[in-house]
Amino acid sequence: MNIFSLAFKNLTRKGRRTAVLILLTAFLSLAVFGGSVMILSLQSGLNSLEARLGADIILVPSQAQSKVSFQNMFLQGTTGAFYMDASALDKVMEVEGVEKAAPQTFLASLKADCCSIRIQVIGIDPEKDFTVQPWIARSLSRELGDMDVAVGCKVEADVGEIIRIYDMRCKVVARLEPTGTGLDTAVYCSMETMAELLRAAEEKGVSHKIESGDDVISAVYVKVRDGYDIDTVNSRLNGHIRKATAVRTRSMITGVSDSLAGVSRTITVLIAAVWVLAFIILLLSFALIVRERAREFAVFRLAGASVSMLGSMVMLESALCGLAGGLAGTGAAALVLFPFSRLIENALNLPYLMPGLTQVLLLGVLTVVLSVAVSALSSTMAAYRLSRVNPGTALREGN
Amino acid sequence: MKKTRIPAIVMLLLSSLASLGVRTFLSPCVHEDGSLAACHGAGQMLLGLGCVLAVLSLLCLFSSRAAFGAYLSAMPVCILGILTPGTIMNLCLMGTMRCHTVMQPAMILLFSGALLCALTGAVLSAGKKAL
Repeated sequence: MNIFSLAFKNLTRKGRRTAVLILLTAFLSLAVFGGSVMILSLQSGLNSLEARLGADIILVPSQAQSKVSFQNMFLQGTTGAFYMDASALDKVMEVEGVEKAAPQTFLASLKADCCSIRIQVIGIDPEKDFTVQPWIARSLSRELGDMDVAVGCKVEADVGEIIRIYDMRCKVVARLEPTGTGLDTAVYCSMETMAELLRAAEEKGVSHKIESGDDVISAVYVKVRDGYDIDTVNSRLNGHIRKATAVRTRSMITGVSDSLAGVSRTITVLIAAVWVLAFIILLLSFALIVRERAREFAVFRLAGASVSMLGSMVMLESALCGLAGGLAGTGAAALVLFPFSRLIENALNLPYLMPGLTQVLLLGVLTVVLSVAVSALSSTMAAYRLSRVNPGTALREGN
Repeated sequence: MKKTRIPAIVMLLLSSLASLGVRTFLSPCVHEDGSLAACHGAGQMLLGLGCVLAVLSLLCLFSSRAAFGAYLSAMPVCILGILTPGTIMNLCLMGTMRCHTVMQPAMILLFSGALLCALTGAVLSAGKKAL
């Protein structure tokens, strides 16, 4: 019989003790794997939001900020529709320091169109757009045609399917990659399609007309030329265009970034607390187990087992518990985190983008390795104590 | 307790949870005006599948002669339960809605667990039959 089978038999013989040790290490792994995946997802969500916004400044009608929170629009996909004269785009291009400017028009669908909540429809100009178009281009090799729409990954419509917006039949031509932000819940179309949809909305009593007419846009996304100060260009835009407000995208992201840092810090502290607590409990458990098994080890010693052999056996037993617990904890965390990721995202109200499969697998393996290492480490003290036990004294004390 | 009964007990628990859950805390979306959401049909179907699975679990539990057949019959029911929300029957259009965030993942987990139990039960019952 080798050490491995001996350690295995010791564990199976004392089922309850083994189960408690496995449960403890499983709890450890659950905290580490679950916490790490959440932190990584929040981080990728923020990176994705930064990449998707793409613009330095967003110009919106003055009344827009009182109507809707931009942060909510980008993070939670809250619908919002506000309009200004389309000539604002030309005025933006006149401002010194503006490299690119792209218009977007927003429209919120009716609740009855598809489901019990409204969908944000965003009209883009594929030729000018530099924020959404590169993202669409990854899923669609051609431009959006008349009555074609590209849907965010959280709009559950397949390519080729027809969705009705204000009773207009729109064909889904692409499903976009996830961004972990509110942009995933929107539907994107060309400006021509948006004009049709605005007309249909008008017929249904949803007016978009403003004093100057019906040639409207909702926002202008601005990229500042290299070498120009973004704040200066922002002030110039605010001074040059009437009835519109220029907002720096960085100011929106800063709020999100601060919340994200807070959540990450809390999770990290919790993980550390769980680890310290569990390590102490494991340390005490192994010390008690070795004391309880003193006679058993004394018999092993008298049968010819060396001190190092017994020490290795104790460490192997704890490592096996760590392995089983690590696998169980990582598995349990995965069973909650992955299927319910959308629920977690809704609850957090922060950009949340799950890491890729390779990253998750690597994290899982690392967690199991860490669980095995900590279990083995916590039993080293017990193994050291074991080396100092005199077999004769242990047997006499037992009697 | 006979080993073959353990999967039946777990399956009964999971199917009861699915049936009760789909009417309570795992329910599909509800419209504010009381009208039926697109996912309502999927919820009704899942309730039915959960009930059928519960009956099959009881059969596995109390009739050792019928256990093997009942475990085998439970397998397609579980597969239907996994595929019903989103694949066989449509859910609401928005992925952020309750049917996508709560009902679908919970039902997939519960019916997958039940499928695992049905497989284990079938293997154990088949071994017992062979003896």
